[in-house]
Amino acid sequence: MITTGSKFLYGLGSATSIAAILWFIANDGGSIGVVSLAFLAVALFFMGAIASFVRDGHVLSTDTDAHASSNAAQRNVGRSWFPVGTAFSAGMVAVGLVSSPGIFKVGICLLFAMLGQWLIKNWSDRASSDAAYNEKVRAWVVHPLEIPVGGAIVLAIIVLSFSRIMLSLSKESGLIVFSVMAALVLTFGSMVSVRRGASRRVIGAVAGVVLVALSGTGIAFALDGERHELVEAAAEDHFAHRACGEEAEETDEDAARSVSAKSSVAATVILRDGRLFAEMDGWNGELTSITLQRSNPSTILFVNEDDHEHRMVVEYGKIVEDLGGGVSKDTVLEACTSLITKGGTQAVSIVIPKPSFASEEPYSITVPGVEGASIEIQVP
Amino acid sequence: MKSSRRWSNIIKPVLAVSSLIAVAGCAKDAPQDTWQPAGPNAKMIDDLQRPIFYIAGIVGVIVFAAVAWAIFRFRDRGQAMPEQTHGKPALEITLTVIPVLILIGVGVPTVGTIFDLAKTDDTEMTINVTGQQWWWEYDYPAVGDNAEVYGISDPIVTSGQLVIPEDTKVLLRVTSRDVIHSYWIPKLNGKKDSVPGRVHLLRMEGSEPGIYAGQCTEFCGLSHAYMRMEAVVLSKADYATWVANQLEAYNSPSADNVLAVEGEKLFLQQCARCHQVNGLLNADGTPNVAAPDQYVVSGAAPNLTNLMTRNTFAGASWDLLTPECRDDVWNATPAEFGEKYLAGVSEDCLNQKDLREWLRNAPEKKPMYADPTKLTETGGKYRGMPALGLTEDQISALVAYLLELK
Ligand code: HEC
Ligand SMILES: [Cu+2]
Repeated sequence: MITTGSKFLYGLGSATSIAAILWFIANDGGSIGVVSLAFLAVALFFMGAIASFVRDGHVLSTDTDAHASSNAAQRNVGRSWFPVGTAFSAGMVAVGLVSSPGIFKVGICLLFAMLGQWLIKNWSDRASSDAAYNEKVRAWVVHPLEIPVGGAIVLAIIVLSFSRIMLSLSKESGLIVFSVMAALVLTFGSMVSVRRGASRRVIGAVAGVVLVALSGTGIAFALDGERHELVEAAAEDHFAHRACGEEAEETDEDAARSVSAKSSVAATVILRDGRLFAEMDGWNGELTSITLQRSNPSTILFVNEDDHEHRMVVEYGKIVEDLGGGVSKDTVLEACTSLITKGGTQAVSIVIPKPSFASEEPYSITVPGVEGASIEIQVP
Repeated sequence: MKSSRRWSNIIKPVLAVSSLIAVAGCAKDAPQDTWQPAGPNAKMIDDLQRPIFYIAGIVGVIVFAAVAWAIFRFRDRGQAMPEQTHGKPALEITLTVIPVLILIGVGVPTVGTIFDLAKTDDTEMTINVTGQQWWWEYDYPAVGDNAEVYGISDPIVTSGQLVIPEDTKVLLRVTSRDVIHSYWIPKLNGKKDSVPGRVHLLRMEGSEPGIYAGQCTEFCGLSHAYMRMEAVVLSKADYATWVANQLEAYNSPSADNVLAVEGEKLFLQQCARCHQVNGLLNADGTPNVAAPDQYVVSGAAPNLTNLMTRNTFAGASWDLLTPECRDDVWNATPAEFGEKYLAGVSEDCLNQKDLREWLRNAPEKKPMYADPTKLTETGGKYRGMPALGLTEDQISALVAYLLELK
């Protein structure tokens, strides 16, 4: 006898068996996944068999008359919107297939969510004749998943919308908007916590309105695009600058945005009053020759204290590739920051593969356009 | 009778375990003992940890005694439930204030020591320390005081043993080429993590000539346990000799040492692609440039220019000296130590067994994921030294050649 509860378990068991077979094929016979999935399937079938045997625990298995009349055997009378939701998700998958992978992925997620919810709703609807109890059973099963996922989605909407707004606003107005928003959130939060009596409805409504407004504004600003400095910097490519010359026009203030990359660096290179020098932990004073380890990721921080925009260029040898037939190709190994304005800093991370004695030209740090600005790099 | 038997049943194991713990604390010559500082930085830590240890010990004894007393005194003998009260402000405040005062007493000197140990402006010598799976490289830049005061006119690169002058404020710039390691010479200072892409500073100073052992203290993969290191402290005069020797120009083995001449050829064929020997020339007369970046994941292999001036190898895990010769160096008095260390490894003192085993099959001696069939993930690069399939004759020639490297 296949009861509602056992149906659920048999279904999951079958799906797991299929998954085990797919895993086996996809992983060239890899064993861990197959073994664990097969175990899971066996366990599910076993539990399904128990559910069948005890008729979902609702009626005595010997009471055959009750099999047809039990709650579990009744059809749900309520209206369900899951067919619509599932159809919509399936449509989204189809649209995604022809348009963009993003829509496809969202469609797949929605489809699974819909089917899962549908499955659980159908099961819980027949758990008993008491609708309120059925709802409670459903909540037990789905809330542990629904609530964290829902929270994560809301958080993602807030973060994404807010970041779009901040990336679009100019730095000055961004500061003001951020301060005002933070103050508003703080005020609202304090009010809620002080006035214990406030109805949950009202708070929920206010939060809902704010969320809608925020995501609306976020979308509007996203369509408007990022502020022009960021667009230009992106066009120049933040970290892999192709042009190391003096001429490129775009500037990217403070482009190395990670704080951690700027602390405990191998060396800090400073341009001040037309002089270029390095400072290194462990060495006193201004250095014009620095030692870096070979094959070691070294971060060099450039600080521009000059009135003009400058970039730092690190040159560390060249690779000569023998292309055969007496032809060879030279690749100069160099790395540079983008142009940065006065007071700006930017980090460059390099790995020097060969010792300096292997190169005919010394390894160096220079600033294009500043005469005589050069630091020697020694690699033992 | 019965109850006294029960007591002895409990007391015997307790006595056994506690005396075992007590005896374990008696290891007199433990080379990695934090309680035996051998330099001012370790002394600072020791001066802090001893009083704190005693304070914590006294507090611990009082607390345990109070708990034991309460357990015994109020054990259930079927007596009536005592009167129940909630809260006793005077007691609660006292019991909050006392720990706060103790913690302040502990905190103030702790913060002071942390700042003292982070000082760098009194540095007299700077050395780069680079960790990689599973050995430490040291390089001594030829800049500033290193060059002007200590005569390091060209960069020196070594591995395994850090050599520093006595009573000198050395600053280590600690970093890593692959994963996070941690540098620790317990008798000279605390630990400092070596993190790829970052340079962390660690003060190092030894007050007495000798060898101080340590080991990597951040789990860093398969052979973490074989990633050891030693700090060698030499008197200033001996240090100058050591520097001069490291900087001496390379000499090919003399023609009458046939085996070593053979070894040099073999070295060029088999080893020089990973190991740098400064001054070694290729057959065509050009300087040999090792390319460990092409063969090893970390992009580095130990510089062997002066291999036989160190007395350990492969992450200071094995001795280059036979046990007798090693003891002679380790147990030397501070006054004699320098001379014995500077003698390096002679043919008679060479630990042939371990070195030959290493050359025969390094990954068998020190696990290094070196199975050539499993290197696809790393693009064919090794994580250590591979087995090179050398014959015993080739190994003898290589050993004869390596003996010349000092
Ligand atoms: C593929 C690169 C590679 C080749 C080829 C190679 N080695 Fe190594 N060797 C290493 C690496 C990496 C280490 C460090 C291993 C460790 O300590 O974990 C090492 C360690 C050593 C050490 C210990 C050095 C020290 O200071 O601790 C010796 C000695 C040595 N190799 C000798 C040789 C000889 C002799 C040959 C040629 C027969 C050779 N190696 C070939 C990579 C290589
Ligand atoms: Cu390590």
